[in-house]
Amino acid sequence: MPKKPFNSFEMAQAQFDRVAGLLNLDAATRELLRNPLREYHFSIPVRMKDGSKQIFRGFRVQHNDARGPGKGGVRFHPLETIDTVRALSMWMSWKCAVVDIPLGGSKGGVICDPHELSDFELEQICRGWVRQIAKDVGPARDVPAPDVMTNSQSMLWMLDEFEAINGGHFPGFITGKPLNAGGSKGRTEATGYGVVFTIREALKELGIRPGDTTASVQGFGNVARYAIQLYNQIGGTVTCVSCWDQKEKQAFAYRRSDGVNLEELLNITDHFGGIDKAKAVELGYEVLPGEKWIEQDVDILIPAALENQITLETVNDIHKRVKIIAEGANGPTHPDADAVLNKREIFVIPDLLANAGGVTCSYFEQVQSNMNYFWEKDEVLGKLDVKMTSAYISVSSLARSRKVSMRDAAYMIAVSRVAQACKDRGWL
Amino acid sequence: MTQSHKAIDNLLHALAERAKELNCLYTVEELFSDSNNTIASICRGIIDAIPPGWQYPDICMARITVMNDVYSSPHFSETPWVLQTDIVEQNTTVGTLEVFYREERPAADEGPFLKEERKLITAIAERLGRRILHENLKSIFESEKEVVKRDWWVIIEMLTHTDPKLLIRISRKMLNQLCWNGIPEAETLLADFSPAYRNEESELLGEVNQPYKKRAVEDILKISNKIFHIAGEYLGEKEILQRIQKWIKEDRSGFLVNILENPGTTLSEIAAAIERYHHLTPQGLELSSPREKGFRVSLIRRLLADQPHFINIAKPHIEVEDFFALFAKIIFPSGSHGKIGGKSAGLLLAYRVLINSARENPQLGEIKLPKTWYLTSDGILSFMQYNNLEEIVEQKYKEIGQVRQEYPYVVQLFKNSLLPPEIINGLSVALDDFDEVPLIVRSSSLLEDRMGTAFAGKYKSLFIANQGTKKERLQELIDAVTEVYASTFGPDPIEYRLQRGMVDFHEEMGILIQEVVGTRVGSYFFPAFAGVAFSQNEFRWSKRLKRENGLMRLVPGLGTRAVDRLSDDYPILVAPGEPDLRVNVTLEEKIRYSPQKIDVVNLETRSLETLSIKSLLKNFGPAFPLIERLVSILDQDRIYQPVGIEPDFGKYHPVVTFEGLLSNTNFPNQMHSVLTTLEDNFQTPVDVEFAHDGKDFYLLQCRPLSSSEAFQPAEIPHDLPPENLIFSGNRYIPNGVVPNITHIVYVDPLKYGELPGKDDLLAVGEVVGKLNGILPKRQFILMGPGRWGSRGDIKLGVNISYSGINNSAMLIEIARQQKDYLPDLSFGTHFFQDLVESSIRYLPLYPDDPDTAFNENFLNRSHNTLAEIFPEFARLSETVKVIDVRKVAGGKVLKVLMNAEIDTAVAILAEPEESIQFRSRPLKGYNPPDKDVHWRWRLVNAEYLAACLEPERFGIKAAYIFGSTKNATAGPGSDIDLLIHINGNEAQKKDLEFWLEGWSLSLSQANYLRTGHQSNGLLDVHFVTDEDIRKRTSFAVKIGAATDAARPLQLGTSQKS
Repeated sequence: MPKKPFNSFEMAQAQFDRVAGLLNLDAATRELLRNPLREYHFSIPVRMKDGSKQIFRGFRVQHNDARGPGKGGVRFHPLETIDTVRALSMWMSWKCAVVDIPLGGSKGGVICDPHELSDFELEQICRGWVRQIAKDVGPARDVPAPDVMTNSQSMLWMLDEFEAINGGHFPGFITGKPLNAGGSKGRTEATGYGVVFTIREALKELGIRPGDTTASVQGFGNVARYAIQLYNQIGGTVTCVSCWDQKEKQAFAYRRSDGVNLEELLNITDHFGGIDKAKAVELGYEVLPGEKWIEQDVDILIPAALENQITLETVNDIHKRVKIIAEGANGPTHPDADAVLNKREIFVIPDLLANAGGVTCSYFEQVQSNMNYFWEKDEVLGKLDVKMTSAYISVSSLARSRKVSMRDAAYMIAVSRVAQACKDRGWL
Repeated sequence: MTQSHKAIDNLLHALAERAKELNCLYTVEELFSDSNNTIASICRGIIDAIPPGWQYPDICMARITVMNDVYSSPHFSETPWVLQTDIVEQNTTVGTLEVFYREERPAADEGPFLKEERKLITAIAERLGRRILHENLKSIFESEKEVVKRDWWVIIEMLTHTDPKLLIRISRKMLNQLCWNGIPEAETLLADFSPAYRNEESELLGEVNQPYKKRAVEDILKISNKIFHIAGEYLGEKEILQRIQKWIKEDRSGFLVNILENPGTTLSEIAAAIERYHHLTPQGLELSSPREKGFRVSLIRRLLADQPHFINIAKPHIEVEDFFALFAKIIFPSGSHGKIGGKSAGLLLAYRVLINSARENPQLGEIKLPKTWYLTSDGILSFMQYNNLEEIVEQKYKEIGQVRQEYPYVVQLFKNSLLPPEIINGLSVALDDFDEVPLIVRSSSLLEDRMGTAFAGKYKSLFIANQGTKKERLQELIDAVTEVYASTFGPDPIEYRLQRGMVDFHEEMGILIQEVVGTRVGSYFFPAFAGVAFSQNEFRWSKRLKRENGLMRLVPGLGTRAVDRLSDDYPILVAPGEPDLRVNVTLEEKIRYSPQKIDVVNLETRSLETLSIKSLLKNFGPAFPLIERLVSILDQDRIYQPVGIEPDFGKYHPVVTFEGLLSNTNFPNQMHSVLTTLEDNFQTPVDVEFAHDGKDFYLLQCRPLSSSEAFQPAEIPHDLPPENLIFSGNRYIPNGVVPNITHIVYVDPLKYGELPGKDDLLAVGEVVGKLNGILPKRQFILMGPGRWGSRGDIKLGVNISYSGINNSAMLIEIARQQKDYLPDLSFGTHFFQDLVESSIRYLPLYPDDPDTAFNENFLNRSHNTLAEIFPEFARLSETVKVIDVRKVAGGKVLKVLMNAEIDTAVAILAEPEESIQFRSRPLKGYNPPDKDVHWRWRLVNAEYLAACLEPERFGIKAAYIFGSTKNATAGPGSDIDLLIHINGNEAQKKDLEFWLEGWSLSLSQANYLRTGHQSNGLLDVHFVTDEDIRKRTSFAVKIGAATDAARPLQLGTSQKS
């Protein structure tokens, strides 16, 4: 049998097909949802620094907007392919649906290499992208956001172009804006806090007091830091944190059995998230090889850094005490390892749910922008708690009632919510 | 009593006489010193001044007869008591000076006259003779201005009387002129004139066997006459006149010719001559352009450098006047014949080139040189003579180990010796000129920075704070100078010279004392930023960049951090010709690759310090010069340039990006102009060091591109047998050589694209990472599809981080045509700066291009050792090939040759390089002239060590050697990698560790004495157990491995002899 090359869109479709099977969806629904509703392919002419013209290929894929305006990032990548964008737009539909925010799934991109472009040329690409798609996006249609190699600066250029075309202020057109230009407070905290909201609910469900638990965290970026902060606030103790050491080009795990002190570690951390090894030793931390984070004698594992960390090889290193794995990162668990975790009855809070705090906060940014009224951080985080908690409760009750994994339950909820919206609108 | 009385009287009388004579002389001198006085008024003055100066003033009379005039005292009459002398103007008697007494007086030394009076009258007559000459010449020159209508014969006649030698020289020139014009009569005269003229002062033998007859001056004057008659016939009045005037003027600079053309003249004589020239220039000392050029060349040769290439470049740019300014800042020992050295000469020349180019490009005129003093190259010799240290010169002929061992002693000896007083004086004057500003004392040897020799960093450069009392500062400066002197005899430069066959070159060491460019912030002193720039860029991160766009490495503070490759920090890299194409684009890259540290001079501790930029900004924030140009603010997911109020650096997160400098100033453009201007003029790629104090841009150094051989254009062999050619490239090729590649890791692009699952794609990254950990460091290359380390679609490039490639020698990206498009390559951008800092080379390949080779047969059909090394990845054998080049190519290795000038790179199978001189940092390494010394030394020691190991005592089953010692590639700093198979108990293992520790430290010390590489132990020991070997974990895979296997060592027995 000839092997078929790997294709991310086909992967996403296969995953959908499996969930559709679990949900017994009819053929039309499957046909509608396994493909994007609309795709835009367009050319963006840009006058380069040397006066020559170069044409860049741009995309916007709107997978489904039955539940609300599309939401999804714009990627700038030299090897961007339409299939990657399709797969990611589908993923956005499920992600928005699982936390029940009234937004659909989209994704966009431009084939370009920012490493080959000057800032001015990049600005022209951002503005060019908006000019080509302006009629078909907007606060009420489709809302872009930053993604691979785009940032808040790109968003401001895009917003400015959109507003120039439409003659008015439409801060709700785009999210991921800087705080002083229509961004939302609490965005830095949102993903990490979201992870801990779901952990808190899981502990409640398992009848464990957070104060009696310990956790080991992989990563020391924004997600990990705010997860540690909130987890400490609800009484938990983090005993091990692993992070990348730029100098030694390898990861180290920092362990202290009576709990790591976040403030103390932040004081010895460079702004890339690397902890100063020597100073950590001075402060009484034990330094272990990076991969040791997974072997710790703790109740909770929070992989909050990289893909594919829990694999068939590493899954057996997980300590028998571990009860919960909360996926702060995207795709930290390999599907093969999932089966082992299931068998060991380790409770996995899947990435689709656990790290949805980020997209929820983007939604809040859009809401605030639309009404041009901005909340204080407490209000943002309070509303985030409500959203994440109720999302958790729906997923876990489904998992219990249908006796499926949390991961399957999350997908089933997401897909059925989108399918329902399509049906309600009479599309199906 | 009376006797003594009389004696005292005589004495007093004599003294009174001397006083009178002196008064007379002063009075006469005053007459001469007023240039408005005519000869007549001077003569009258002398007549009045003489009687009071003589012993008997009342009866004294004087008379001067000069030319046709007579001047005398009132009521003059001749008497027999007379003192007389001739007045001579240029060997011709033009008059007499006479002193008479009216009456007879007692006889003294000469009649009634004293011998002092004879001296006095002679002095006055000589003085008068010179004045008459001067007046005559002056009248000639004055007449020149309005002579056009007058007959130029007047001048000739005048010269005949006043300065016949000058006339002869001018006649000769006129004769030459006439000959060039092809006038036949002149040619016949030439034969007549030539020997006689040339024989005027020296005997010019050798052309014929008998001496030329010396002609009388009169004869020659007659010939002169003839010459000018002929001239009168053929040339116009005006032309003759102008030429005569020009030649007379030129003749006045003859002294400079004599001084400069004579190799025996000392620097102080040259300095005096240049000063005289400088003062004469405003009075119309005009030089013909060939003569001026001749002066320039002579001065360049004497002071700057004597290589023809340098002189050729320098002569249009450096003017004679420049040397006047230069001499004011040169310190030299008495009798010096030294030069200022290569570094100083290169810097001066670069500066002059830029200033001269400012007419076309005004921004080049804004560049400054820091205040600099120079100590000439023979200063070191005079220092050594002064202290009887001559025997140190022999250091260079000693064994290098001995040189290294003795070096600390040489340094101490030098530091405890005295500089000659004239040098100390010079340094003291220099310090007064500098004032209390930090200084850098740099070597500027004659060898250093010569065209074609890169002595980069071999000799010392020392920063001194230069704070405190004058005495302290002088001592500090003297210490620094002697230390730099001592570095001439350091092992590294001697070693380097040995290798280049320059050891016999008479090494003299000039010194450059330069003020450190910068400003004071708190107790620190540093420039806003500094760096190095290269006119050719060998590290391009985008295909839009061209080599000639250049490269700058910028750092905040002192440039020390930009000059060296850093292991834990990064400079900002910018192509001055394309400043908008940044290396780092994403937020993550901008943060990761931003400088974190800064080098400063601490004025309080008087030392060079490295500080964290973050804390410096926190403490001094806005006081940091140009802060708004260098630093951006990190705010969540964005880096921006603050506008308006200075941000509070304690609160905001500063990131050094140089964004303001690069996007809002013309600095990149200015730098690019500097580089292209210098490269054009030097006719070779250059590198420069520079600094900016917040106000001005200073040039600190300029030299021909000093990159090591590893970055020189490689010679591409022709007519390669196709089976020896593995691949070739012809796009975006840098310069350099990557030799001695023993392993190729090749990820087949087509097979990679066909891998069905994401797991397999990820596994490719994983196995490459593992190979990186196990293959010999810097001896394998990675070849793979598309973009290494891409975080985008994994299909289009192997997913890997820098740690997965960091031991490779070279990263190759292959762009294979896909249906209808050619994938873009990354140019290593994902870890570009890491590649630069560790000298890992990058090469893109486009195998589908015509005229390129891609030996798929070799890459795909050669034995693939992947499954043997990592059986668990055997399923990837179709995709990932690990080729042990030496095994499949009969002992040959792979060598990649790259030449940017012809945009060609080839990878060929070749015999292994005997030495390791092409390693990543060849200049720092110890590269012995006799090959293989390092690994042999290590192997011998490892074998001996193994023979001393008692298996029963330590519980050892076997010992192996692997890595660079086994592979015969060990360098001076290499570890000795040992693998010890143990089966004993804990106590035995502890015992063994302790025993090995002792060996390790001893070997380290021995290695230090050999090579100068310091380490905390030379052994890198890995223990493996039976279980490791069974499970093939960690280093156990090396035992009996398919490729690069560890080699067993013979163990000793308990009963060792």
